[in-house]
Amino acid sequence: MNMRLQRLSGLRASKLGQRTSHLRSMCYQIDLLHHLVWRDFSLRYKQSVLGILWSLLLPFAQLLVMVFLFQAVVPLNIEAYPAFVFSALLPWNWFSSSLSSACGLFVGNRDLVRHPNFAPARLMLVNTLSNLITYLAALPILIAVLLAYGRPLSIALLTLPLLMLIQSVLTVGLSMVIATLNVFYRDVQHIVVVALMLLFYLTPVFYRPQAVAAQYHLVYKVNPIAVLVQDYRSIFFEATLPSWGPLLYVASVSIVAYGIGTLIYGRQQHDIIDTI
Amino acid sequence: MSAVLTAEAVSKRFRLQRNRPVTLKESAVRWLTGRLDPAQAHWALRDVSFEVERGTALGIIGHNGAGKSTLLRLLCGLGRPTRGQVRRAGQVSGLLDLGSGFHPDMTGRENITTGGLLMGLTKREVLAQQDEIIAFAELEKFIDEPVRAYSSGMYLRLAFATAMQFDPDVLLIDEVLAVGDTRFQKKCLDRLATFRAAGKTLILTSHVMEQVRALCDEVLVLEEGRAVLQGEPETAIRCYEDLMRKRTERRAAKIGDGLAPKLAIAQGTRQGTQEAMITTVMLRNDQGQQIEMMPSGAALTVELEYQLSRPIADMIVSLGVFSEAHIKCFEEIIPSVDAVFGRPTERGALRCSLPELPLMPGRYYVNVGLYPTDWAYVFDYHWQLHMIDITAAASALPNASGVVALHPVWSAGTNMIGARPL
Repeated sequence: MNMRLQRLSGLRASKLGQRTSHLRSMCYQIDLLHHLVWRDFSLRYKQSVLGILWSLLLPFAQLLVMVFLFQAVVPLNIEAYPAFVFSALLPWNWFSSSLSSACGLFVGNRDLVRHPNFAPARLMLVNTLSNLITYLAALPILIAVLLAYGRPLSIALLTLPLLMLIQSVLTVGLSMVIATLNVFYRDVQHIVVVALMLLFYLTPVFYRPQAVAAQYHLVYKVNPIAVLVQDYRSIFFEATLPSWGPLLYVASVSIVAYGIGTLIYGRQQHDIIDTI
Repeated sequence: MSAVLTAEAVSKRFRLQRNRPVTLKESAVRWLTGRLDPAQAHWALRDVSFEVERGTALGIIGHNGAGKSTLLRLLCGLGRPTRGQVRRAGQVSGLLDLGSGFHPDMTGRENITTGGLLMGLTKREVLAQQDEIIAFAELEKFIDEPVRAYSSGMYLRLAFATAMQFDPDVLLIDEVLAVGDTRFQKKCLDRLATFRAAGKTLILTSHVMEQVRALCDEVLVLEEGRAVLQGEPETAIRCYEDLMRKRTERRAAKIGDGLAPKLAIAQGTRQGTQEAMITTVMLRNDQGQQIEMMPSGAALTVELEYQLSRPIADMIVSLGVFSEAHIKCFEEIIPSVDAVFGRPTERGALRCSLPELPLMPGRYYVNVGLYPTDWAYVFDYHWQLHMIDITAAASALPNASGVVALHPVWSAGTNMIGARPL
């Protein structure tokens, strides 16, 4: 018992000493985020034989379907079409899978939400990052496809982290709105499914916006994910830098979405705990 | 001394779940037709104020639905009081309802890591302490299985070991110590004593008054969401028992006493709603004869017959032997008749054989009771109704006193190691 006491008080003292150190606090934040992202990611593939391979098989299957559809059934006559589609499909999948899994975040992580020391808003970031892993895992395949179709890799790829950062802010903001509202209104998860389906067609993933009649072009300028997807395509497929004006617009929309998400979540956070 | 936790006039209102709009349409309809009906609100806590000093142990007792769990959750910082304020100082850890502390699909080991990180430890610090947790929880074989496969006892062991290891300043425990086998409960209580000795603060709710007596310096009694009393454990427990009796009486009055049999009550008291009623209690010796008197150390069989005035799916049975001075010599609870004997029938009998009753000579009472499974009130409790006089056995102990008739063997020698039985 005495030893236990000493151990406790020793731990206490060392904890206090370390708590002052910024380094430790940074290590801690990284450890926590790393563990939670890993946890979220591994939960998705628990008890499946292929595990993480599924995260590659799904986009690959989508790619095959689109290549078949738009090269053989309804030819769109786009040069190096698989590389064209894949460069836009991956960021779209990141966006759409993050938002659809955002619906169940509070309910699916009761253990975290009901822990006294956990800020549930962190779940949105964890969810966005764990979906990002899927994107990152598919990047080598994308690069292989690009090279196979003779598309050179350019210096424009250096802006990739910036695009990801903006998309993360946008996704986290929208996730906060969706996750919060879904606790109170289960309709939200169905609305999200429908909205993502519509948005998929309003985003130039498998077609060129230039091929669409000019009166609809406003859609591609207003829809932030459409702007982002085209920017990903330009840095990967066209090897050109994104156009800065629209990107600035998306960045501001993302910050506004983040603000609104924080506001809605902040107003409801106590009711969320009572409800789940 | 400083307060680690303060509740200032805390009130909590819930909207009743069944009236909560779950779809946008319902919500819109409700918004168009008028605001929330006040009758749909339920006040789980009203105006509860108290302070917990650093290093004390506070017990919270009250019947089911008195607001204990709600209060504990607010103290943990889960949810916000509708009115009033909760102030916390220091790292708080909670063992709240079983089943919400861990993610069921993650293994025990992964859940330990999550718990440790949330308590402010880095991954390396958690890994260093992991083995100690697994050893305390005695889960070496199962630690890499998903938690969903654990029994409730294993789950509690892991939850308790994890919560204790990461060294919180304040630990809140909701009822969970009632789960698990007696040996592990003992281990938990020892660990809690160490925790207390280290100057930490403990807050727990329990239905088991023995635990409350053993662990708490102070007890808060809740009744219908109000704090009735905060004080010494003995005072508070008496107050709670009194409240429980009143509830039982109120309920009995509501049901009405259209129920038949009256027992010839010679002495003692009897209380209960009589929804399940003990109709007969017989005390027999090992020859099956009905007795009022028996030699110390002999066998005793208690037979009781009960009758249900309405179908009851399950109930608790208690049987205890008490001395004339109300000392509990022995008591056993059967927490679920359904689990042990099957669903109670309209009329039934239970038999309890005690192969030996090694009590010192004197007058004793066999007290038996039937309760609903949540202990919310009493179906029927016979207190000091069934008497047994224990007489001196053949091997009498003329110079012994106390309650239990032990049969000591003395010996003497020049030193302790050399002592041999005479």
